[in-house]
Amino acid sequence: MATQIDPEFSCSLTIDLPLPTARLASAALQALRVDKELSPLVSRSFSTISAPSSHDSGDSSPMGSSQEKILRTEYKATTNRMLRVAVNGFMESLSVVLGVMDELDVDILGVEDPKE
Amino acid sequence: MIAIGLEGSANKLGVGVISHPAPGKPAQVLSNIRHTFVTPPGEGFLPKDTAKHHRTWVVRLVKEAMTEAGVSINDIDCICYTKGPGMGAPLQSVAVAARMLSLLWQKELVGVNHCVGHIEMGREITGADNPVVLYVSGGNTQVIAYAEQRYRIFGEALDIAVGNCLDRFARTLEISNDPAPGYNIEQLAKKGRALLDLPYAVKGMDCSFSGILASIDILAAELKANPEQRDSITGEVITPADLCFSLQETVFAMLVEITERAMAHVGSNQVLIVGGVGCNERLQDMMGIMARDRGGSVFGMDERFAIDNGIMIAHAGLEAYKTGFTTPLEESTCTQRFRTDEVFVRWRD
Repeated sequence: MATQIDPEFSCSLTIDLPLPTARLASAALQALRVDKELSPLVSRSFSTISAPSSHDSGDSSPMGSSQEKILRTEYKATTNRMLRVAVNGFMESLSVVLGVMDELDVDILGVEDPKE
Repeated sequence: MIAIGLEGSANKLGVGVISHPAPGKPAQVLSNIRHTFVTPPGEGFLPKDTAKHHRTWVVRLVKEAMTEAGVSINDIDCICYTKGPGMGAPLQSVAVAARMLSLLWQKELVGVNHCVGHIEMGREITGADNPVVLYVSGGNTQVIAYAEQRYRIFGEALDIAVGNCLDRFARTLEISNDPAPGYNIEQLAKKGRALLDLPYAVKGMDCSFSGILASIDILAAELKANPEQRDSITGEVITPADLCFSLQETVFAMLVEITERAMAHVGSNQVLIVGGVGCNERLQDMMGIMARDRGGSVFGMDERFAIDNGIMIAHAGLEAYKTGFTTPLEESTCTQRFRTDEVFVRWRD
């Protein structure tokens, strides 16, 4: 999916982050899109996409490959500096998102009573 | 019911788990973990660095809080977080974590007003029935009284918070910020004797501290230029301890005055002091003298609950949640300005 070059926001960057499951990709998207971009010189959009299908048939299950496990983040800004600042901020928030996924998810903390 | 609360509006990151076992029964603190971002002497904390600190510690603190509480994800009813007021980037860094927990654990979010968190925790811990609340911290200075389902602000600092005045003077003196600048000012003030001349800026129900800060900074500069300077009344050499003592006596007297004015207005004789500056024993003493003169009493808490913490957010959030209040994910933003009286206190009569 090619990003249209917007003459106003000529500096752009697309980041595709593959995650283990569609559930995680969806959670990341929902958590990150709540906060508006601080600067009007930056525009951003989130989506989840499935992996581009480049494998031979029969190799991986159709269910797995059609799931949207990739978080796609598209940033557009008026200058490279604004783009860099915005993307850095995204990376910082992403570190929290990934940390929670990594250490605080239901399968790690346990949903049931920890005391037997 | 059980709630987890996340707080990060200033340089303290707090996570707490609270249980409300049954109506009428006292709340139980299952865990209350905090980590403070301490800056070197002479420096304050900036939003960017504070946010970085919170991002680094939030996952670890949530894990510790859950482990210490001995509860499972199933037991948690809601996830409470500080919506505001406070510093933008730090607030947002904690909110992102809260949202992820909400999505992964499939629990509702409750956005909490930081000031209301302090008040509700104070009421719960001290058992004060309907006190005038003095909320004093590095970021806030308000005199509050409850009326008709809102915490009404009767008086406040017009410019900077009293704690901000004390903290910035700690920077001027370059004393340690560990565990907190205000704590070290308090210890130094205990050795002070000379009451130096400072402006006294009470304006009706409100007060102002920036002029006092400017004055004490000038005195500190004069003392640094002339270390042999003597106090005109005692004849002793003036020390930084005298500066701290004079500053505390002046600003605390102002706080006592505006609190007393509110008590007279409202007809209450109970005072509840909340917020980090509430840990100061001299302030508690001075407020106590005034309250006893009026036939009343002062309620305070220790640093576990007076200084910013996650348990107060969990407590106030759970009170709201029990009345049916939740914050939808799309609305789980943060705001630097969030007036105490914006909150509809449905959980009280």
